[in-house]
Amino acid sequence: MAGVVLSGVTKVFPGGTRAVDAIDLSIGEGEFFSLLGPSGCGKTTTLRMVAGFEAPDAGTILVGGQDMTSLPPERRGMGMVFQNYALFPHRTVAENVAFGLKMRSVPREDQAKRVRNALAMVRLQGLEERRPSQLSGGQQQRVALARAIVIDPTVLLCDEPLGALDKKLRQAMQFELKALHRRLGLTLVYVTHDQEEALTMSDRIAVMRAGRIAQLGAPREIYDRPTSRFVADFIGDTNILEGTASGHMLHLDGWASPLPQALPPGPCAIALRPERVRLGAPGAGLVDATVEEANFLGDAVLLKLLLPGGTAILARAPRETDAALLAPGAAASLAWRAEDPVPLEAA
Amino acid sequence: MRAAFLSVCGLVLAFLLLPVLIVLCFAVNPDPFLAFPPSGVSTRWFVKFVTSRDFMAAFGLSLTLGVATVLIAGTMGTLASLALLRSSLPGRRALTGLFLSPIVLPTILTGFALFQLAMVSGVGRNPWILLAGHVVVATPYVMRTVLAVLANFDRSLEEAARGLGATPAQAFREVTLPLIRPGVIAGCLFAFIVSFDQFPVSLFLVSPGNETLPIAMFNYLRFDFDGTIAAASTVSILLAVALVLGIERTIGLQEYAKL
Repeated sequence: MAGVVLSGVTKVFPGGTRAVDAIDLSIGEGEFFSLLGPSGCGKTTTLRMVAGFEAPDAGTILVGGQDMTSLPPERRGMGMVFQNYALFPHRTVAENVAFGLKMRSVPREDQAKRVRNALAMVRLQGLEERRPSQLSGGQQQRVALARAIVIDPTVLLCDEPLGALDKKLRQAMQFELKALHRRLGLTLVYVTHDQEEALTMSDRIAVMRAGRIAQLGAPREIYDRPTSRFVADFIGDTNILEGTASGHMLHLDGWASPLPQALPPGPCAIALRPERVRLGAPGAGLVDATVEEANFLGDAVLLKLLLPGGTAILARAPRETDAALLAPGAAASLAWRAEDPVPLEAA
Repeated sequence: MRAAFLSVCGLVLAFLLLPVLIVLCFAVNPDPFLAFPPSGVSTRWFVKFVTSRDFMAAFGLSLTLGVATVLIAGTMGTLASLALLRSSLPGRRALTGLFLSPIVLPTILTGFALFQLAMVSGVGRNPWILLAGHVVVATPYVMRTVLAVLANFDRSLEEAARGLGATPAQAFREVTLPLIRPGVIAGCLFAFIVSFDQFPVSLFLVSPGNETLPIAMFNYLRFDFDGTIAAASTVSILLAVALVLGIERTIGLQEYAKL
């Protein structure tokens, strides 16, 4: 039973900055939970409070129903993977992994067996006697992971563990981390500023901003139904259109977009994903726009178009789209379904 | 270009080593006065040095003082550096400056001040106040090297250890200490040499019959001027070289310096 419950957790840094501002969170047992946000949003501070490296100024942290708020880190039984891996440079790979077992006075034979298992788990055998400095970044990452899981932690905490890896390796590690999480059934709290990483791996995501949780939900929910402009903007590419709502329509510069539901009349903003925007022959859609820029992405084309009134809008078109519509300077009509736009709370 | 670089290096090296060579020359020269070229090779001055009761007593005292200074200054300097860098002690900057000030102050001032202190407080001159004086001037050398390694120390290593179940004391013993060891050892080496070579502070604080080697050599020089001094200097130089080589062999200064 190792869910993590944070209630009213607050951290004020010297100088009065509220790095974390009365956060309430309930992370289920076995859940892959991500804290996502730009740098300085308080996600790392939150993680460090869960780990015990920072003491909260207010609030409580429960793990498996037990109050951990004032326990020192060594008595919390958690595993942590640091951004820079924090491997002990004066110890071999095997000694690094065995460290937590040694601190727990596990008998030597048991240590060796568990170290072997943990290294097998992260697919890193045969390098036991190397020093961390003789390993590649990906290998160091695996050692850090093995060192954290070998102690059978109640919760595994990861602070941007893949941040220092190149894109390909990062993607491979994402799959592995997810598989590892599934196999071990661990509660995993994952801090990242990379929205793609959070979307691919997490069961649930808390998007943080200025020490508070801006939105909490499953990846699809966060991506498809952002509630605020901040979240819409932070997660993926987004168009934000501002106009005047009346009933089921949002009136813009001489044209109107359908809305998924009737809104009270007045100024309103909607978020619209570029991949929801469909291109067609001029005059066939909601509004006509001029192609300003077309970037070939490989699997699609990302277009920047100018709406009447000069607002720019992004559209992601499949590469099979009529080439005439993709040339800079071309005119195209834009359309989307009524359920595609997401009305945003006034922020 | 390469030849020019090598010759400049050669010149600098010659400039640094020539005095040592001259001392060596005089130490093996059988003549009872400083002359060049030496008239032969002999060990008579070494024999005289080793069989001189005064010199041997002074040599013994210097060695003992050096070791005691290393132990005390090494421990104090390391702990003080940790406190200054890690704690939220008020006035840390001022304290660091204060601790390091003996490096900047003319040692003769430090010696004179300690002398006055010893006299005014009624402690008088004895080997203990001499040891205290050596510790005062040697500690900053330890602190300088330890502060340098600590400044580059990655605190997340300690956090990793704590997270894996180490108490603060265990984390220090298992992670911090092994990693700052090169700085501590280098600092202790400096501390030993500062103490073993110490002249100004010792001059003020030695008590009659309890002289350190540099003081004994100085006193000897005032009346005699033969190769014994050169032999004593040679022994001191060899001791320093042996010390550095010994540490290099056993602990490996270079390997640790790489971390």
